[in-house]
Amino acid sequence: MHHEKLVKLDPTIHSRIRLAVLSILASVKEADFTYLKETIGTTDGNLSTHLSKLEQAKFIKVKKSFKGKKPVTTCSISQKGKDAFSKYLKALEDIIHFKRP
Amino acid sequence: MNEIQAKEEIQLIREMIEKTKMSGAKAWKYFFIWGIIGILGVFGMYILVYFEKYNWIWINWFVFVGLGVFLTQLFREKEEKRQKTKTYAHIAISHLSFACGIAFCLVGFVFPLLELYPYGVIPVLISLIAGILTFGIGGIIEWNLLKWCGVFWWLGAVGMLFIHWHWRGLMFVPLLIIGYIIPGFVFRSEFKKSVKNAS
Repeated sequence: MHHEKLVKLDPTIHSRIRLAVLSILASVKEADFTYLKETIGTTDGNLSTHLSKLEQAKFIKVKKSFKGKKPVTTCSISQKGKDAFSKYLKALEDIIHFKRP
Repeated sequence: MNEIQAKEEIQLIREMIEKTKMSGAKAWKYFFIWGIIGILGVFGMYILVYFEKYNWIWINWFVFVGLGVFLTQLFREKEEKRQKTKTYAHIAISHLSFACGIAFCLVGFVFPLLELYPYGVIPVLISLIAGILTFGIGGIIEWNLLKWCGVFWWLGAVGMLFIHWHWRGLMFVPLLIIGYIIPGFVFRSEFKKSVKNAS
C-alpha cells in the first residue's frame, strides 16, 4: 500500500513503551515511575531508557522528590508532548482510514 | 506501518487509558463514611428529641460531623501516601467535595445559628447540596447510577416540603441508604472489578 509510506510517524513516540507512557500521561496530571512500570509491564532499566528519550525530546517532565524517606520519580506530559501525541494519533487514524496526511 | 499495526497501537493507547481511568476514583470510601455517619447523626438527634434534650442536638451534629471530617482526613492522608497517579477526575472530585463540605457547614450550622431561616429548612438545603455533590461526582467519573442518586436527593428535597418539619430529618435515612450507601457498595465492587481486569 502506498499510503503506508506517506504517513510520517514521529520516531520518538513510535515505540510500544514510549507510546504507552504518553497514553498514560495524557490522561493523568502526573504518574510515578512505579505506576508506569506496573501498568505497562516493563522493567526499571527499560522504562528509564524510554523515559530519558521522551525527556530529551521535551515530551515529558521528570521530577525527582521524596515521599517521607522514599525517593519518588514523578512524570508528567508537557505541552510539546501533548501536541506530538495528538499528531501521532491523527497519523494512526490516517493510516486506518487510508487517508493521506 | 500498515493498518493492522496502526489498529494495534490504537488498542494499546485505549488499554493504557482504561487502566488509568479508575485509579484515582476511590470516592466510594467517603460515601460509606458519610452515609453511616449521617444515619447515626439522625438517630442521635431523634433520641435527644425523645428525651427532650433539644439543646444537645447541635452538639450531636458537631460530634458526628467532626468524626466524619476526621475519618475523611485520615483516609485521604493514607490514600495520598499510596497514590501513584494524580488524575484530573481525582482533582475535580476533591475540589467539588471541599466546596460542598463548606456549603454543608454554612447551611447546616452557621446560617441556622444566625437564625437566617427556620430549622425545618436545614434538611431541604442539605439534600440539595448532597444532590449536587452526588450528581457532580457521577458526571466526573461518567457513572450514571451516581447521577440518578443525585436526582434522588433532589426529589427527596422536594418531598420534604410535603411533610411536617419535625419529621424531615428522618427522610435522611432512606436518602442516605439509597443515595450514599448503596452506590458506595456498587461503586466499590465496580472499582475492584476494574482494577482486577486492568491488572
